[in-house]
Amino acid sequence: MNIESKDILVTRSQLKENVLNNKRVIGYEKQRKQLLNLLKESIYAGESNSALLLGLRSVGKTLLVKSILQELQNDSFEKNAILVCLNGLIHTDDRLALKAITTQMNLDNAVDGKVFGSFAENLAFLLACLKSGSKETTKSIIFILEEFHLFCSHHNQTLLYNLFDVSQSAQTPICVLGITFQLEIIESLEKRVKSRFSHRQIFLSPKEDHTFEIDRRLKRIQNVLCLKPSTRLSKKYVNSWNRHIEDLIDDEKFHTFMQRVLEVDPGEQTLNNLMFLVVSQLNDRKTRLTLKDFEDQYQLLESEDIFRLIRDLSVLEVCLLIAMKHYIEINDTFTFNFEIILTRYNAFVNSHSNIQEFQRATVLKAFEHLQNLRLIGPVSGVGLSALQKEYQNFELLLPPEQIVEAIPKLNYLPTEVAQWATSDLI
Amino acid sequence: MNSVQEELQATYPCRKKQIEELYNLFGYGEEPLVDAVYVYGSSSTGKTSIIKSLLRGLNLKFALVNLVECYTSKILFESILNQLSDHKIDVIKAQPYARCDNMMDFVANLRKCGETVDLSRAVIVLDKAERLRDMDSNLLPAFLRLTELADLSISVVFVSEIVFDNYCYKNEIVTPIKIHFSQYTKEEIIEILCLNFDTAREAIESSYGAELSITEEFYRNYLSVFLSVFHRACRDVSELKYMAKQSFVKYCEPVAKKDCELSDSLALWKHIAPVLKSSLGLLYMRISPTHQENSSTLSITAKDSQVQSLELPYYGKHLLIAAYLASYNPAKEDKRLYMKYHGKKARTKSDIRAKSKTAEQLFTQLGPKQFGFDRLIAIFYAILEEKVDLNSHLLVQISTLVELRLLAIVSDNSELDNRKYRCCVGLEYIEAVARNVGINIKKYLVDFN
Repeated sequence: MNIESKDILVTRSQLKENVLNNKRVIGYEKQRKQLLNLLKESIYAGESNSALLLGLRSVGKTLLVKSILQELQNDSFEKNAILVCLNGLIHTDDRLALKAITTQMNLDNAVDGKVFGSFAENLAFLLACLKSGSKETTKSIIFILEEFHLFCSHHNQTLLYNLFDVSQSAQTPICVLGITFQLEIIESLEKRVKSRFSHRQIFLSPKEDHTFEIDRRLKRIQNVLCLKPSTRLSKKYVNSWNRHIEDLIDDEKFHTFMQRVLEVDPGEQTLNNLMFLVVSQLNDRKTRLTLKDFEDQYQLLESEDIFRLIRDLSVLEVCLLIAMKHYIEINDTFTFNFEIILTRYNAFVNSHSNIQEFQRATVLKAFEHLQNLRLIGPVSGVGLSALQKEYQNFELLLPPEQIVEAIPKLNYLPTEVAQWATSDLI
Repeated sequence: MNSVQEELQATYPCRKKQIEELYNLFGYGEEPLVDAVYVYGSSSTGKTSIIKSLLRGLNLKFALVNLVECYTSKILFESILNQLSDHKIDVIKAQPYARCDNMMDFVANLRKCGETVDLSRAVIVLDKAERLRDMDSNLLPAFLRLTELADLSISVVFVSEIVFDNYCYKNEIVTPIKIHFSQYTKEEIIEILCLNFDTAREAIESSYGAELSITEEFYRNYLSVFLSVFHRACRDVSELKYMAKQSFVKYCEPVAKKDCELSDSLALWKHIAPVLKSSLGLLYMRISPTHQENSSTLSITAKDSQVQSLELPYYGKHLLIAAYLASYNPAKEDKRLYMKYHGKKARTKSDIRAKSKTAEQLFTQLGPKQFGFDRLIAIFYAILEEKVDLNSHLLVQISTLVELRLLAIVSDNSELDNRKYRCCVGLEYIEAVARNVGINIKKYLVDFN
């Protein structure tokens, strides 16, 4: 293996590492300060607090909290506070959440001898543990509830009620921090829960100011794609690579491209996927990143999957889709059954002599295949299960316009079928 | 180009792009793996097998679970852990690696497993991932961010036939990297099926003896003839492979009988075309077409033979026909259809409108309507020429029809007076039955009058 290809392997792995484990948060200084103060108050001053951190998917909420916690993590943190992390996806009901809280608070020993008959007993014990302390002497407990909206769907919101209740009364100082992407989540809290919540909401949203946002994003890309000096790479190589990335980012076209990406989706996930795919393409024949790579991959990311699915259909299946589209357009309805579509399809076949005719069983198979691919779906209704499958009502699960749009791209279709799709006379 | 990649491309022809994409994500050692990959495409395009051989070739630790086998999430969790931890299930005690009732246990056990086994570059492959939609709602989002939840660099690959948008709303979950396995084109299918040339030759040799030697060119010609019939209905390679194998022996028959030369493609086509057409109806069924042909001539259709195989009594057939007529005709037309002297019917405006109805709103296409017992018996006597008593022997035949699932009871089971039924057979079937007893069914159907 020569030097060149070894370099590129190291580059790949370092960049991938950067994309996946990017710990640095750029921007959001104000929110960061607010959160930091909040946590410090509970840890060091022993005040109880509750707050919600709101922001759209993948803007970096968890990342922000993690980086703040990392900043706080030192000796005095250990002495003054206990961290309890819950996630709505894992802790799907209050019983599990309680179990996790017990473990994370190192109360397992205290629980050990006791046998809890019910959820309520367990909760009472835990609350007693929480209440027994006074403000001055005890450690404060920090609860981080990720996917907070899922906790709201728990039975009676018992957990939330109790946590907020403790945070309101002068007992053990606790700080409850909920993280969710549902901006209006506070509406789904029950009244008694809501009244105990401090109503402190911190919004994490991209700024209106576009030039600011795009700068932030470019800075992030540079941060990710630039190599850090390491022992495995020569200094010269790192410098030349970084210069090449800087050139790429400085490019005006790259700028406008990123602006477009940003306008479509302000979340970081798309950008991360994009960068990961672009980095994945590097190999010893392709040693540099270009704007075109980004554009190609972005086009792939954003292209409609449904068109690819339609492209994989057989001619017969496409014909059935066209028949469905015509039927619902002409009759101004949403539902159809197999017999109706079969008649329409047969009428088309009979009027075109050179289209091959299929047996009923074959057409039914094609119809069922469409159902498997979730292009059509059964309409639920009363007593329909008793019907034979030929008469079961179905609806199209994709807009008819998409069928029309997809047809010209199917180069294997016979001309008659392609014309049938667009014709008004049926 | 790496050797693993080359080997895969030799084993799986026409999958260059997909193998390269996958290799870019998983192939290079010491690199961290992406959290989640969503692989989708039609059935038998090589999704699972390519992923499996790639991961095996790269010596990555992986767990492959087919979600069809996991009807509860408990089984899913435990089988993933068993595979990742190389846990051998004891025959006597049959204990899993760890009991997992929920996601919390799973994540905890995964972490525990990570302490003993190196899971840093492990992959979990979930085949038939569309099943996740019917399982607990937290499974899909949790698997998508398993790296984050479990704090391990574990990668999850979802393999599915449907597009990702079908899972839930876009902002609810993060979108993974998607890889599409496109369907093979016609030329590619021929290329792939040609790989089976050797087994096809062996099949010929075993049935006609060794003197009939075929060339690959001949096989290729056969495939293009075969695909000209089948390709429009089906693009599924494994299905086409099976069907091609089925009819190839038949295709060579005239050559073996010395009726024509190997090169005479026109004569061969004439011979094979009807066979292919009839076997088209057996697509996806995996029934050997040869059985049918031996037993009867081709003129009898499948439905006819089905009717013959289920030999109903004479009156039973009439009852079934009556039930069909009752299901697919409106009750107000009965008088006109079955009475000899029903008088002249004044044509109303609604009649004219009904006549101009489009072909799609026929009664025979909207499905069976329910009907009462009295109406069934009335129609039965109307279509039956002779007079028979209404006795228990006759009535028990209705129950027989219900037992055979030719009729369905719609009304409540506890109700004994004027039960409601619905007919469950199609037009083709009932036409065959009617032909059998010499009734022209179309004469009695409103749709055809």
